[in-house]
Amino acid sequence: MGEGPLIRIDDVHFGYGRHAVFTGLSMEIPAGRITAIMGPSGTGKTTLLELVTGQLHPDRGEVWIQGRNLARLSRATLFRLRREMGFLFQEGALFGDLSVFENVAFPLREHTRLSDTLIHHLVLMKLEAVGLRGAAALTPAELSGGMARRVALARAIVMDPVMMFYDEPLVGLDPIAMGVILRLIVHLNETLGMTSVIVTHDVKEVLKIAHGSYILSGGRVVAQGSPAELSRSRDPWVRQFLDGAPDGPVPFNYPAPDFSADLFMTGVRR
Amino acid sequence: MTRLFEPVRITLDFLQAIGQRAVFFLATLWASPRALLRPGIVVEQVFFVGSVSVILIGVGGLFVGLVLALQFYTALARFGATSSLGGLVALALLRELGPVLTALLFAGRAGTSLASELGLMRATRQIDAMEVMAVDPMRRIVAPRFMAGIVSMPLLAGIFSAMGILGAYLVGVKMMGLDPGVFWSSMRHEVSFRSDFVDGMIKSVIFGAACTLVAVYEGFHARPSAEGVGQATTRSVVISSMVILALDFILTSFMY
Repeated sequence: MGEGPLIRIDDVHFGYGRHAVFTGLSMEIPAGRITAIMGPSGTGKTTLLELVTGQLHPDRGEVWIQGRNLARLSRATLFRLRREMGFLFQEGALFGDLSVFENVAFPLREHTRLSDTLIHHLVLMKLEAVGLRGAAALTPAELSGGMARRVALARAIVMDPVMMFYDEPLVGLDPIAMGVILRLIVHLNETLGMTSVIVTHDVKEVLKIAHGSYILSGGRVVAQGSPAELSRSRDPWVRQFLDGAPDGPVPFNYPAPDFSADLFMTGVRR
Repeated sequence: MTRLFEPVRITLDFLQAIGQRAVFFLATLWASPRALLRPGIVVEQVFFVGSVSVILIGVGGLFVGLVLALQFYTALARFGATSSLGGLVALALLRELGPVLTALLFAGRAGTSLASELGLMRATRQIDAMEVMAVDPMRRIVAPRFMAGIVSMPLLAGIFSAMGILGAYLVGVKMMGLDPGVFWSSMRHEVSFRSDFVDGMIKSVIFGAACTLVAVYEGFHARPSAEGVGQATTRSVVISSMVILALDFILTSFMY
């Protein structure tokens, strides 16, 4: 396992039009560890992953990966860097016109000149790792949501990336598939020393495997630490999030006028 | 105050839309030579866009030929010039109707399927997935489809015209009793390979490029939702049709 941060996010500001997503976000992601990034829906967790993979660029502030400022990289260098990244999309994002086998083989066929035999072996190894070797001939349309996610995971790790980004890897999975994915994340981290970043709101499951975590709210980091530190924390942000309480510093309701005024139509007219 | 600036805003939006398409066109041209390094993908796309359109275009061509021959025959009969039927139909098809109608049918069949395919790839994040896998979607998705459009449109226009001539033959010779020798020889006499056939093919190549480019642009930039994909598909037909008809006027005014 490496030492020091692999990814450094430095005072990042970002917004879509007038809607500000991040207002001074800073964090460090250590190499070779599993880092969980948690927060309620709509806090920009997916946007954060898109900033880290260079799909989006911050309005202000910097994202550094392996000591390189992403915004300063040429497209060619960025693409070289991306070959060291694996990205698991929440939707799976499998190519609908290719079979499961060809989906997993896709990065190998694009980036390497390996023989068909070797590609065949590598793809089947990765599919075996996610338990779907038998599904190699199926098309993505024939897979359940959980299976599609596992195929997408096999595709994301087929190039043996240095860092792996998981966007909501557990959403909509049954407990068995959830367990399989969590074990795989730990396994990849332990055997290959892969740096893993998991963006999630499945707090309890992910905290079991994470080495460190950040909680985001309102465009910035509101708490950070190891799972043990977070569970001991008295901080109201952390407590509300970990305990799933509707009342607290994180507003659950969309801003609205006073309920009774709204009911009796004495408030703002619509 | 705002109403005063409305025409300005519309003009700026229009210029911006043109500019974005021009940049996309240049990026596609830039990516195209590299896409040719893997001809298998281009051939696959030629097969795809060709196979979805070929029956439609063949049948369309046949009917247009049948109608053209009927119309021309009645008009020519008044002057006792029915012997020119073959040449006249061939000229109309090769110079004008073949390229234009093929392109319009292509926009409705292959263009829409390209736009919806790419729109769906955008909506299900397949294009983003390709980007983060360090595969350039311009090279891997857009350029091969663009090349396929350029290759398949003239072939399809050729099929359209051939079927049209067959239709005219059926009406002129089999139905109206024109002498087959007269029918074919008038065609040989009237049609010039250089100025009619080649110019028609040049039109087709340009329509193929324009049509495919509009379809892939709209699909590639579709809003990532079911509604967005639908809108992109509709827009691709509307814009392609306008572009084809406008380009046809410009090209014809230069060629003939």
